[in-house]
Amino acid sequence: MAFDAEKEISKLWGDLHAAQSEIGRTYFRWRQAALAVAGPKANPLDVSLKAAEIIGKELGKQSLPRLNFLKGEETWMRSLAGGMAIQWIMQGAIVKIEKSDKPSEIFIKWERCPWPSFHKEYGVKMEEDVLCCDRILQSILPDVNTFFNVNYKIETLKAIPRGQGVCLRRLYKA
Amino acid sequence: MAKVLFEWDYSKYPGAKKFPHLFKPIQVGNLMVPNRIVYAATEDNLNSHDGFVTDADVAYMRSRAEGVVGGMCFMQGVYMDPDRKGQGYVGQAACWDDKFIPGLKRLADAIHSQKAIAGFQLMDCGRVGAVEVDSGKGPSTVPQRLRIFRPMYEMSKDDIKLMIKQHLDSARRGLEAGFDVMEISGIVGYLISNFISSYTNRRKDEYGGDIRGRMKAVVEIIEGLKKICPKDVPVGIRLCAEELLDDVRGNTPEESMMSYKIAEEAGIDYFSVTAGWQESIVPVISRDVPQGSWLHLAKRSKENVKVPIMMAYRLFDPSIPHKAIEKGDLDIWEMCRPMIADPLLPKKVLEGREQDIRWCVACNLCLARLFRDAPMTCYINPLCAHEHDPKYTNPPPADPKKNIMIVGAGPAGLECAYMAAQRGHEVHVYDKRKELGGTILEASRAPYGDDELMTCIRYQKVQCEKAGVQFHLGTEVTEDLIKEELPDSVVLATGPVYPTSKAPGFDKAKVVNVLDVLRGDAKVGDNIVVWGNRKPGIGVALSLAKQGKKVTLVGKEKSAGFDINPSFKWRYMIFLRQNGIKAYNDCEMDEVNPGEIIVKTYDGYRFPVKCDTIVVTERVPNENLKNAVQAEGIELFVIGDALVPRNMSSAVHDGFHIGVRI
Repeated sequence: MAFDAEKEISKLWGDLHAAQSEIGRTYFRWRQAALAVAGPKANPLDVSLKAAEIIGKELGKQSLPRLNFLKGEETWMRSLAGGMAIQWIMQGAIVKIEKSDKPSEIFIKWERCPWPSFHKEYGVKMEEDVLCCDRILQSILPDVNTFFNVNYKIETLKAIPRGQGVCLRRLYKA
Repeated sequence: MAKVLFEWDYSKYPGAKKFPHLFKPIQVGNLMVPNRIVYAATEDNLNSHDGFVTDADVAYMRSRAEGVVGGMCFMQGVYMDPDRKGQGYVGQAACWDDKFIPGLKRLADAIHSQKAIAGFQLMDCGRVGAVEVDSGKGPSTVPQRLRIFRPMYEMSKDDIKLMIKQHLDSARRGLEAGFDVMEISGIVGYLISNFISSYTNRRKDEYGGDIRGRMKAVVEIIEGLKKICPKDVPVGIRLCAEELLDDVRGNTPEESMMSYKIAEEAGIDYFSVTAGWQESIVPVISRDVPQGSWLHLAKRSKENVKVPIMMAYRLFDPSIPHKAIEKGDLDIWEMCRPMIADPLLPKKVLEGREQDIRWCVACNLCLARLFRDAPMTCYINPLCAHEHDPKYTNPPPADPKKNIMIVGAGPAGLECAYMAAQRGHEVHVYDKRKELGGTILEASRAPYGDDELMTCIRYQKVQCEKAGVQFHLGTEVTEDLIKEELPDSVVLATGPVYPTSKAPGFDKAKVVNVLDVLRGDAKVGDNIVVWGNRKPGIGVALSLAKQGKKVTLVGKEKSAGFDINPSFKWRYMIFLRQNGIKAYNDCEMDEVNPGEIIVKTYDGYRFPVKCDTIVVTERVPNENLKNAVQAEGIELFVIGDALVPRNMSSAVHDGFHIGVRI
């Protein structure tokens, strides 16, 4: 059977997109389940933020074996930012790391992200998307900071769900 | 006048003439040690899960004590807290109560029965402890990098005082049990090293801060031990000379040497020099690290302190520590793994029987077992951890005596041959090749230290010769030969068969065998696909990549190197990356076309890989001769790769088990 590159790549491409979209849908199904269990008094945003915190903490722990200071702190910071970006890239986002003039900060730019569309599709407020992403990213940092004895913070400068075209976040040494 | 526990005179032994510096006395504290040999404290997971010493551990230690021929022999480090946060291994001996003293006394007595000096080690496993409980303790709450270890909580000052008291109480119990030397374990990520390291000690109080502050708890333990230990009981410490934690800003080498000086000021009588932590990303003791690589740390330590310096860490060949002692870079030769592989190693050196030594191949299987809560095992020494079991140590004489034909002179066949011959059987080993070693002859040509695998074959050859095994090399065993010889038993140790792929086009491709490639007998192109992602595939892939070839591994195992033990496998994964070798795991060759193969993933995706040569490393059991033997009604055993293709360890262990029961 001759190898048909277009066929193989399109099949792979289709499966990848299906898997990426399933990540989003699975999250919102679980969100519904959590809200149902939490009861009518629970604030949906609190539930989502708790989930975001757990996700972030997990990602922080996961990042520890992959980070090191052997090539200096600037490279370390870039690796940390890259590790954050890859989590969204795997889900279908386009994320780029941009250098700053200052050695102690770096920018992470989301040029495209599937999560705002999911929020729209499941009827969830767009602001929740911004706050959850913030919470995930911020929750990555405590373990990383403690482990490497540093103090890094991350802040949101722009957000797609706020109609600003891109998500732009600043990772910096406090 | 230093105390002498046992008189030893080595003057009549050839080893003492060849290696005079290994067999000369040394004063450690106020104790005169007759030689420069130490069996270092090594966990073995042989004790009961509540910390009581077992018969297995006593027998294990007795054989190591026999090996050190009068030198120091340390039992494994004991954990000292009843809440078991300091316990790092499920079978670790405990010492948090007087009820453990009788068991510990059995160990001291076993060591003394061999006229060796009994060493006791205090080991709170700290960051790598709490194996049976939910959380561990440390100077600071630094998250774990490796998830297999428990989360840590920061010790209060009261916790630190209690920890120091536990060390002193346990030392008192060790003395009561009859031990002669007291040692603190401050290495590889255990609690003492957690206090010393800038990586794990972030305290702002008097137990943290600069290196003096980080050493404060250690100093208090040393001073306490010096008070309770009689003057002729030396107090030593195993301490990192380099943590190899630059990636997480651990101690600098200068800080580590400072820790040595501070410990010496506190009264320590000797140092055991170590390198690296379990969390270090730098390899320290695996086979790819050349022997003697860490001696510069012993030398550096000698330059910084006055008390004796001992060291293990890739010092297998006795000539290396011998020269180091002669040069003044080292005082005492320590061993862990070499004496796991051969407990009598130093004794054999002394008796001039180096050819009888079963050399450690630095595979780290022993460590991999310990970290996975399994009892100690050795890759090449099937007796290890079975010293208490007469089925292993004293197999019955041959009854009836048999004429045994062993087909194949690889590690399985040779191990079986000498074991069976030692029991009184008449053993004939046949191999179509003229050399002993089977596939190890080729496997030992792979890079990163695999030449050390041949030490196993050399050892087996000597044992076979001594046991009277008769070799028939260059003789291919056929059905006719079996009918002609009509042995009582046949052991098929013929090695594996290398299959052909069913992929269309495979029959037209340039296909070579792994053995031919490693031997240098096969011509290969520039774009090579190695078929099979177990160790033989990895070995030949690395060998070819070193020759500048573009190599791709394609194999059915879910991860490459599935058959390499985890404590060594991580090195091979790095070697593959460093050599630009791509591994497609959980994949098969689906099609072979001119200049390429089509790889098919487990879930059906297909993609091309450039290929002008396919190296076959896949193996299947060898069924040849099986029917012929059975047709003659001859007792049949199949061992090693002929039974199921695995690694050298399985071959040796198969051979041993059939050798003792045939």
